[in-house]
Amino acid sequence: MQAAIQYVLDLGAQVFLPIIIFIMGLIFKQKPGKAFKSGLLIGIGFVGINLVLNLLVSNLGPAAKAMISNFGISLNIIDVGWPASAAIAYGTKVGAFVIPIVLLVNVVMIFLKLTKTLNVDIWNYWHFAFTGSLVAAVTNSLTWGLVTAALNAAIVLVLADWTAPMVQKFYNIPNISLPHGFSAAYVPIAIPLNAMIDKIPVINDIELDPETIQEKFGVFGEPIFMGLVLGIIVGMLAQYSIPQILNLGVTMAAVMLLFPRVVKILMEGLTPLSESAKKYMREKFQDREFYIGLDSAIAIGHPSAISTALILVPLTIFLAVIIPGNSVLPFGDLATLPFMVVMIIPITKGNIFRSTLIGSIVIGVGLLIATNLAPMITSAAKTTSFEFPEGANIISSICDGGNPLTWLIVKFMNLGVIGVGLIAAAVIGFGYYVYRNKSAAA
Amino acid sequence: MKKNILLVCGTGIATSTVVGEKIKEIAKENNFDVNINQVKVTEAKSHLKDNKVDLLIATTQLPFEVDVPYIKGLPFISGVGEEEVIEEVKNILKD
Repeated sequence: MQAAIQYVLDLGAQVFLPIIIFIMGLIFKQKPGKAFKSGLLIGIGFVGINLVLNLLVSNLGPAAKAMISNFGISLNIIDVGWPASAAIAYGTKVGAFVIPIVLLVNVVMIFLKLTKTLNVDIWNYWHFAFTGSLVAAVTNSLTWGLVTAALNAAIVLVLADWTAPMVQKFYNIPNISLPHGFSAAYVPIAIPLNAMIDKIPVINDIELDPETIQEKFGVFGEPIFMGLVLGIIVGMLAQYSIPQILNLGVTMAAVMLLFPRVVKILMEGLTPLSESAKKYMREKFQDREFYIGLDSAIAIGHPSAISTALILVPLTIFLAVIIPGNSVLPFGDLATLPFMVVMIIPITKGNIFRSTLIGSIVIGVGLLIATNLAPMITSAAKTTSFEFPEGANIISSICDGGNPLTWLIVKFMNLGVIGVGLIAAAVIGFGYYVYRNKSAAA
Repeated sequence: MKKNILLVCGTGIATSTVVGEKIKEIAKENNFDVNINQVKVTEAKSHLKDNKVDLLIATTQLPFEVDVPYIKGLPFISGVGEEEVIEEVKNILKD
């Protein structure tokens, strides 16, 4: 049996995931034809992401290297962005088992009265798989990877409960919580930072107008223009010829457009399974009072969130250049910044200036974390079916690669069993406390 | 006549794909002829300026006013109030 599982896992993500999704679809009582199509679509999504990732790394990589030798701007780690991170996460062995594991963690925590959140946002389980796959890559152990993913999911459930009253009130989304592995990670940092800003005269009075900002910075919300401009700038710094510069610009614009498009194929494949799991969970826990845990994307359209994220795009590039010790060249995740600020916004009560200030601090630190985790992310990516060109640069992402919660969990897991014990104790303690209606003050 | 539906969400991918799959099902069951586009909320304004949209469904807040038929798509994601919102979609698409 074990040999058979190992054989399947060694087939590569684009083969084993379709098989696993097919089997899970049957378990959730889907028609075989539908389950098969879902699985196949996911495999196709992988093939697509592999193509685009190669396009990105093989074009931007050499340009980044030339930029370093010309100007000493040492940004040699490529920010591949969330679409690639999600695909890497689901493409590892941890990713293959993450859905049942996280569902189980959720059910157990509900029974133990440690959470009120029913996390039906199956797609975003990838954040937990991502952390798990980093640990699995280092320890070379699937078990440790799965334990890590389970702990990450548990922490985020408690964070979702803790922030739910604040989020529900601010975004006017009753009975919903946001168990998002990336967005929720910034709440414990933003609360003390906001309290500090409260005490600084003048600064604590500044407010910016969301409409003016959307008008002035609107172009940063269109990924294809960001890709074009960044490609041209990097091409110029690489001292390419004009045809080469223009080609790099258009290629990078293409990557920005294509990455989400191919990830959409993955999503389409996962949607039926996600719907079945949602239905199953809701039926099972019908009679209890729950928060429905959804993607934080549902809150991103708030004017303050949009405006803050737009200002942060140029700031992130600026920070990447000036921060000593950073090696990450911001690219793919410049479009992901709204997810970073979406749960900071309710804490600052929608104040754009404060959110930008807090955002800059967490991005600054995040770049260093993303630099630190890059070798692990690269080796996790290599365990999936992703192929890198010979001598390719290492990859990271500002989103999950620079996620302070991911980093903390990975460092704790270095302690082995003690680390697991500490995290589990924290989850149980904090979960018990929050369950009894102690929520984030804001 | 073909109806243009614009789905708006935080990423243009995640929640809007879930809604998109459901709209496709509704359209198939009722013989509606639809053309579905998905965009990020930051791209929505420029899309609306350049394209004809008969129905806009957003799973996130819209940071601006719109003058096309607009439905809040959250029930598609959470499952709460889904029946009502499906009826709303059918009413807009049938004429």
